[in-house]
Amino acid sequence: MSNFDDLLGVAWSGLRARKIRTLLIMLGPIIGVAAMVSAVGLTESAKGALQAQLSELGTNLVIAQAGGSFGSQNPTFPKDSVERVENVSTVTGASATTNLSGVIALPVKGAKNYYQAFPVPVRAADVNLPAVLAVPMISGRWLNGADTELHTRSVVLGQGIAKQYGYLSGESRTIDLNGTNFGVVGVLATVPLDPQLDNAAFVTQWSAQNIFHTNGEPNQIYVRSMPGTTQATAKVIPTAVNLGGPVQTSTQIPSDVLQAAAQADKTLQQVALLAGLLALTVGGIGIANVMSISVIQRSPEIGIRRAVGHSRSKIGFQFLLESLFVGVLGGFIGAVLGVAIVYAVSTFAGWVVVIAYADIPIWMGLALIVSITAGLYPSIKAARLEPLETLRLG
Amino acid sequence: MDTPPTGVPPVQAHPLLELESVSRVYGEEIEVYALREVSLQIHAGEFMSIVGPSGSGKSTMLGLLGVLDLPTSGTIRVAGQDVSLLDDPTRSKLRGDSIGFVFQQFHLIPHLTAVGNVETALLYRDMRPKERRERCVAALEELGLGARADHRPVQMSGGEQQRVALARAIVTEPLMILADEPTGALDSSNAAHVLEIFKNLQSPERAVVMVTHDLTVADTANRKISMRDGQIVGDDMLRAPAR
Repeated sequence: MSNFDDLLGVAWSGLRARKIRTLLIMLGPIIGVAAMVSAVGLTESAKGALQAQLSELGTNLVIAQAGGSFGSQNPTFPKDSVERVENVSTVTGASATTNLSGVIALPVKGAKNYYQAFPVPVRAADVNLPAVLAVPMISGRWLNGADTELHTRSVVLGQGIAKQYGYLSGESRTIDLNGTNFGVVGVLATVPLDPQLDNAAFVTQWSAQNIFHTNGEPNQIYVRSMPGTTQATAKVIPTAVNLGGPVQTSTQIPSDVLQAAAQADKTLQQVALLAGLLALTVGGIGIANVMSISVIQRSPEIGIRRAVGHSRSKIGFQFLLESLFVGVLGGFIGAVLGVAIVYAVSTFAGWVVVIAYADIPIWMGLALIVSITAGLYPSIKAARLEPLETLRLG
Repeated sequence: MDTPPTGVPPVQAHPLLELESVSRVYGEEIEVYALREVSLQIHAGEFMSIVGPSGSGKSTMLGLLGVLDLPTSGTIRVAGQDVSLLDDPTRSKLRGDSIGFVFQQFHLIPHLTAVGNVETALLYRDMRPKERRERCVAALEELGLGARADHRPVQMSGGEQQRVALARAIVTEPLMILADEPTGALDSSNAAHVLEIFKNLQSPERAVVMVTHDLTVADTANRKISMRDGQIVGDDMLRAPAR
């Protein structure tokens, strides 16, 4: 093994003697591997954040939407739909909301024209909507039994609309709903499973029926099912709600959409991987180029080594080892850089860091193969040099 | 030492190096004879100079003597072995073990230190790095360069560089030292110093061969080979070889 150690030493000193050039040819494998590691890492991390959110939100939420027979204006469910749904054995919780389509919500009176053009959706909701959605309040409280019993004019804002209104957490604030003042009692956190709720304002069913004169029939029902029964529950809800009546019901499982979004990043990942491969290939051509020139520049050294007894194959292996070092070192630096990029971006974006460490050796191996292949031609060229031609005797 | 020169090389059982009607031809369509039917025997203990004008075939001779090149026809034997029959690794090993080169332009590897340059001659020999380094430092010290061991060629004078090259040539304890104009790039005092070292390098076991066009340098040798037009035109015994 001692001969191999000698070879390693010679190759290493050759690289170290030309630090800038070594660094430049190393850039190919560095950029290539960094690109591939970070491409996969970033897309996985972005997806990881989505997956983490999904597992927090649960994949067992079903949203049932009332659908009328063709042409009906405002299709609704029967008043007791929530009880009907709760009778389904796989359902663990349900909550209904009613759209108050004619109600214009204004943060201040002067904004009437704007909010008539772009109305904020107002919904009547029951007390357990946040529980069924598994979404916390970011400030204040949700509508409760006291609001219904005491007939308070309370309103809860979605996070998006609170932002739009410039609502400050804990602030005592009233908004105008069709001329009646309502006090803001809380702000609901963002609802990833139904983003429409972020831009809605919520009042009690009592307010809806007594101030805005609705009939109390809901438009949507949010249903939590027992884990693993989501599909079956979604299928059975229309029957449970309808019970032979004329109501049409469409159901959807919103987490499926999010999951699909998480999968959609695959294309981006492949494009980035391809870019990394391209960088690696171009880097390989760079190595072949620079090494070829290097062999010509170092032909006196090659002649000297041949004169002191180094064989052709030793010379060839010396140069091949140099490109192997470039591949190993460049690949390693690239991997470290890629991981660092994933950590930096994920931290900045608030993602959960997901790095496929098992894949990194594959990229590094690829960099190595490219480097050795690139070093093959210069090495053979070096081995074939005639010492007499490089030493200029006599 | 006062044996009169006879002009005939001493006969030994095994010449160190033997050329037998060796020709070296360059070019394919138009053949140019750089060496034509040359025969020569070099024995241990000889201090030989090869002189001749440019184009006389000195360099070709040097390449062949150093086993850096092979003859177009004829036979070259090193320690009795026909070098044309050896494969590259064996021939390279033979060269590394038996021949030490010294060049006019020193030919040190610029990115290596003095000791690193000397060490190139001892690579790939299954030797411990520590032992190798010790031997190389010893060789440098022998030539008065102990303090320069960790200096790079650019930090040294021409004379010092040539002595590093000499250390590289002798560190393997070769059978033959082959020098190409060893004083050609040196001023006169450095040249004298290097020649003095050359004289001291000859031993009963070793031959020293020096290619030069400088007749004064050539005359410091014991035996002088004169070349012209690819042939040996003179073989003079100037002094008795070391015994």
